[in-house]
Amino acid sequence: MNALAIPAQVPTARVRLVDVRRRTVLLAQLRMLLVGAAFLALAFAALLRIAWIGVVEPAPHQRSMAAALLPARGEITDRNGVPLARAFPAYALWFNPGAMDDGGPPLVHSAEAVAARLKAIFPDLDEYAVARQLASGKAGYLRRRVLPEDANRVMQIGELALELPRETDRHYPQGTMAAHVLGYVHDGKGQVGMEAALDDRLTDPGRRGEPVALSIDARVQGALEDELNRGMRSVNAVGAAGIVLDVDTGEVMALASLPEFDPNHVDEEGRRHVFNKVTNQVYELGSTFKPLTVAAAIDAGAVTDLSRRYPATPFPIGGFTIKDSHPLGASLNVPETLIHSSNVVTAHIVDDLGTSRMKQVMADLGFNERPFIELPARGFPIWASGDWPRLRAMTVGYGHGVAVTPLHLASAYAAMVNGGIWRPTTLRKVAPGEINRGRRVFKASTSARMNQLLRMIAVYGTGRNANAPGFRVGGKTGSAEKPGDGGYHRTTLVSTFAAAFPMDRPRYVVIVMFDEPKGTLASSFQRTAAWNAAPTVGRLIPRIGPLLGVLPDESRDVDLTDLKPLVGDES
Amino acid sequence: MTAPNLASGSRLRRIGWIAALATCTALYLMLHLKVHAVRSEVVRAERQIVALEQQKLLLETEFETRSNQLQLAAWNRVDFGYTAPSAAQFLANERQLASFGSPRAAGAPEPIRVAGGAGSEAPAFPRLVAPLAGEPLDEALIEPERALADPRLAENGGAMRIPLGAVIGSAAR
Repeated sequence: MNALAIPAQVPTARVRLVDVRRRTVLLAQLRMLLVGAAFLALAFAALLRIAWIGVVEPAPHQRSMAAALLPARGEITDRNGVPLARAFPAYALWFNPGAMDDGGPPLVHSAEAVAARLKAIFPDLDEYAVARQLASGKAGYLRRRVLPEDANRVMQIGELALELPRETDRHYPQGTMAAHVLGYVHDGKGQVGMEAALDDRLTDPGRRGEPVALSIDARVQGALEDELNRGMRSVNAVGAAGIVLDVDTGEVMALASLPEFDPNHVDEEGRRHVFNKVTNQVYELGSTFKPLTVAAAIDAGAVTDLSRRYPATPFPIGGFTIKDSHPLGASLNVPETLIHSSNVVTAHIVDDLGTSRMKQVMADLGFNERPFIELPARGFPIWASGDWPRLRAMTVGYGHGVAVTPLHLASAYAAMVNGGIWRPTTLRKVAPGEINRGRRVFKASTSARMNQLLRMIAVYGTGRNANAPGFRVGGKTGSAEKPGDGGYHRTTLVSTFAAAFPMDRPRYVVIVMFDEPKGTLASSFQRTAAWNAAPTVGRLIPRIGPLLGVLPDESRDVDLTDLKPLVGDES
Repeated sequence: MTAPNLASGSRLRRIGWIAALATCTALYLMLHLKVHAVRSEVVRAERQIVALEQQKLLLETEFETRSNQLQLAAWNRVDFGYTAPSAAQFLANERQLASFGSPRAAGAPEPIRVAGGAGSEAPAFPRLVAPLAGEPLDEALIEPERALADPRLAENGGAMRIPLGAVIGSAAR
C-alpha cells in the first residue's frame, strides 16, 4: 500500500537534472502500479466469477432419463414382445436454401453435382428430381429416414443447405407383415388398424412408455402370410385372407389380408390395399356354413339320428330349385352330406330345424352385427331382418343369402369346436384368467359331435388336402359363387377353408380364403376350395402348430369309429 | 498485568474464531464445489446412458428389420429350404423314446442287475458338467425342461399342451 503514497508535489528548488529524473521514475512507477492494479482487478473479477459459478449458480439442469427415453409414440409388440411398430429416432434430409444467409446461391457446388453426390450415398435416389428441387431453391424434404452413417456422409458433402433435422418416425421392422392389423401413422395420427384403435393409449404420456402387446404371434403371422401369398400366386387369385384364432380365449394369433401394403411407406397403391378383407369385407361364404347348420340341427334335436337318410335329388321350392354341383345319388345321411357338401340335404335339415331357430342360432353366432374386434374397420353383414321365409333359411343353411366377414366365420367355428361358447375376438393379449365372457350357443355334446364330423370331412371328404399328418385337422371347404350383375357367376368364386386343429382337443381355428382363384396347374385346374384353400391350410398348420404348442402326434386322433360305418368305404 | 493478558486472550480467541470460521467456510466451499462436480458428472452419465439407449434401440430395430419374417422366409425359400418338422420328428414322452430301443436278441447274455437301495454300491447319477469349464451345471438351467415334461405326462385326456412361455423362458435364460 506504500506504493500508492505518491508525493503530492515535487519540490522545485532542486537540481533540475535530478528533478527530471525523479519525475520520470515516479511516472514509470505510477504506470506500473496502474497496470498491475488493472491486472489485479481482472484476476479478482475472474475469481469472483468462478466463485459465483461454483457457489451461487445452480448445477446443470438435470434431465430425467425417463423423460428423455420416453418414446413419442408407444411401441406395439406381438404377444412375445417382438416389436411390430416403434418410434424410431431417425434423421431427415431437408433442403434449406436460406442456410447460407449471404445473399448468394444456396449451394456451393452446382445442383447437379450435389445431386450426384447424394445419389452416391442413396443409390435409390431420383437424381434428376433432386437436382431440379435443389435448383428451384424451394425448401423441402429430400428424403425421410436417413440412417446415422448416411447422415454423416451427407455432412461430409459440406453443403450448409443440406440439413439433417432429427425426427421421430414410426418404423415397422417387419415391413408389410401384419400391416392390416397395425395400420400406419400419418401426421402423428394412427390410421386404420391398431394404430388408430390405440391412438389415445399410444400417445398418452403416462402410459406410452409401456409397450402394448397384441395377441398376434409374429412367427405365426409370418407363416400365414407366406402361405397365403404362395397360395394366392399359384392360383392367380385377386386377393386372399387368413386368420388364426385361439378358440378358448378369442385371441387372434394371426390375421392377414392380401394384397398387403407397406406401412413404412404408404403410397397411392398401398392406400388401395388398406381395405381389410378379414374384418371389413363381407362374403357369402358358401358351404363352410353347413357344419354350423348341422350343429344347430343337432343342438335343437332336429337331427337325432345321424344315419337317417335325406333325399338328395334337386329340391324345388318357391319357384327355385336347390341343386348340388354334381349329382350325389338318391339319398345321403348327415356325415355324407358334410363329406360331399350337399346343398339339397342341408336344405332338408334346415326345413326340419325350422326357420326361426335357424335365424336365432345365426344371430347367436354374431352374424347379425359387426364383428367384435378392436380394429376400426369392421364390416356390417348382409343380414335379412324380420321373419325369414323357408327359402331364405335354406339358402343361409348352405352359406348363401347371408354375407359375413371371414372373422365372423372364425368366431362361429371357434364356438362350434370349443365346447359351444361363443366369445368376442380380440387383438389384445389376454392375460390368463381375464378371458372375455362368452355366451353358450351350442351344447358341449353338440360340439363334441361336430368335432368328429369336421374331422371326417378332412379324412374322407373335400378337406383331404388339408389333412396335415399328425395334427388332427378338421374343417370344411366352401366355394361360393360371387354375386354380380345378373345373378351369380359360375366361374368367379370365393373359396374358403375353415379348419380347426387338433380335433381331439381343438385349440385353434384357421380360416383361409381366396378371392377369385383360377384353375391353374398348381390347383389341378380346379377352382374349388378343396384344391386351393385346403392345401394351403395343409401346408400352414405344420408350420404354425409347433409354434403354438400343438405337437403333431400320429398316435392320437378323434374317435371316429362310431361314424365310420355311416360313410361306407369312402377312404 | 491482567489487562494486557485479557486483551491478548480475547484477541487470541477472536483470531481462533475467525480461523475456525474461515476453515469451515473453506471446507463448505470445497464440499459445495465437489457436490456440483459430482452432480455434473451424474448428468453427463445420464446423457451418455440416454445416447447409448438410443443407439441400442437403433441397432435393435435394424436387427429386427434385417431379420424380419418376410426376409427369413425369402432366404429359406432360396437358400435353405427348411420345411416344418413332420410328426415323426417329435417325441411326446420318455415312453415313446424308449419304444425306439430294440428288444434283446435271442441268446444275448443276461443284463447284469445291481441290487438297488440306499446302501447300494451303484454310483450316483453323474452330475452334468459344463464341457469347457468343467464346473457342475446350474440346476436351474435344467429345471424348465423338467417342468415342461410334467404337464405333458399329467394330461392324458386331450392333445398335448405345452405352455407357450416354457420354451421361450428356457431359451431366454
